[in-house]
Amino acid sequence: MTAAPILVFENVVKRYGALTALAGVSLTLHRGEVVCLIGPSGSGKSTLLRCANALDPLDQGRISFDGHEVRSSEASVRLVRQRMGMVFQNFELFPHLTVLRNVTIGPTTVLKLGQAEADARARKLLAKVGLADKETSHPSALSGGQQQRVAIARALAMEPALMLFDEPTSALDPETIGEVLSVMKTLADEGMTMLVVTHEMDFARRVANRVAVFDKGRVIEEGTPQEIFTAPKVPRTRDFLSHLGWHGESK
Amino acid sequence: MTFDWNIVWSSLPRLLDGAWMTIWLSVVTMLLAIPGGLALALLRLSGIKPLAMAATAFVEFFRATPLILQIYWVYYVLPAYFDIQLSQIATAIVGLACNISAFNSETFRSGIVSIRQGQWNAGLALGMSRVSVFCRIVAPQALMRVLPALASTWVSLFKDTSLVSIIAVSELSYVALQIRAETYRILEVLTAMAALYWLMGYPQAKLVDWIHHRFKVAE
Repeated sequence: MTAAPILVFENVVKRYGALTALAGVSLTLHRGEVVCLIGPSGSGKSTLLRCANALDPLDQGRISFDGHEVRSSEASVRLVRQRMGMVFQNFELFPHLTVLRNVTIGPTTVLKLGQAEADARARKLLAKVGLADKETSHPSALSGGQQQRVAIARALAMEPALMLFDEPTSALDPETIGEVLSVMKTLADEGMTMLVVTHEMDFARRVANRVAVFDKGRVIEEGTPQEIFTAPKVPRTRDFLSHLGWHGESK
Repeated sequence: MTFDWNIVWSSLPRLLDGAWMTIWLSVVTMLLAIPGGLALALLRLSGIKPLAMAATAFVEFFRATPLILQIYWVYYVLPAYFDIQLSQIATAIVGLACNISAFNSETFRSGIVSIRQGQWNAGLALGMSRVSVFCRIVAPQALMRVLPALASTWVSLFKDTSLVSIIAVSELSYVALQIRAETYRILEVLTAMAALYWLMGYPQAKLVDWIHHRFKVAE
């Protein structure tokens, strides 16, 4: 990768009481790159994402975004968050707002866009994720896959420089996973920088530029999908992949 | 036994004045106790120890002692110890508003903490401030969840205003009991009083049910 680094984790440590969720993670994400974080549940992948936009404070180490350290002061953190979209495992749409208002709330409250301009932006994004006809619905009227696509549109409405995906398909019924992954694939193809925690190995293999394997709060192996999925060097990576039924075949 | 309903009809203007005072007291109390309860709830959730403890002490005092005692206390103790002289109506409102604020604060607090952290995170991740997330995302959902509890507090308050009759505030109960004392027509007057309370209280309870149903937030 020759592009400039946009998000850099340096020796990040995060503890919850006696539990060490991240035991010194260093990882660099470059502009335009898609990096997938894989590994067993509880290995620290999601924690790393929450540290990236300071939803969780660090205990040690350093994270910098676009050359500036992500600090804990609210004002500077808010500036970082505006430019880092986040998609959650449980969608976290706002149930009291319509689909359209879910997408416009960021632009109107944070970017101070006028309602008409925000509406226009939101409609464009809802069309992009295939939900132009749902703008007046409330989230409860949508399927999981539709809700997650709205959540992606909501994050994109801030025109972020980077998107964080925290297991975006783990809470979905199998039949709606594909529609969400295909939206994510489109974003990746358009050059969006993405950091994706996922258990969808096929997505990681086809879409990621790089894959980082987590275990017990550390990155145990990092490389291209080719390297990780066809010739993993670390035994623990091989174990993890074979538990998922992945045996290194490449189509 | 004979009934003399003429007593009721001839006293109706006074009873209606009393009913009006009951409504007025309830509305003013609630208008004070909603922001009061919210302020207490936010203080308790603020994480600032001394403020949270003071708010907790206030709430637990007013929840755990009888309203009638609180009204007496404001009426007799404030003037005696603190040299604060309030009119009877002001006394009634202070007593009621403190009491209902304490109950509302618990209602609001339970509503606010029932909104999961993920909703906060989703708002914060957009770059919204905590105040903005609270006002636009957490509070509206919390309010919908606590409307039934708030409503039952309202209905209780409406009836509990009768307690301020002990300090001679001329709301419905006080007026009715005065008329009873003047005329000795106990059954007629108490029946009229019950009818008036019910006629006012029942539609409120129904309205509140309707509001709850209408604004229910589906997850």
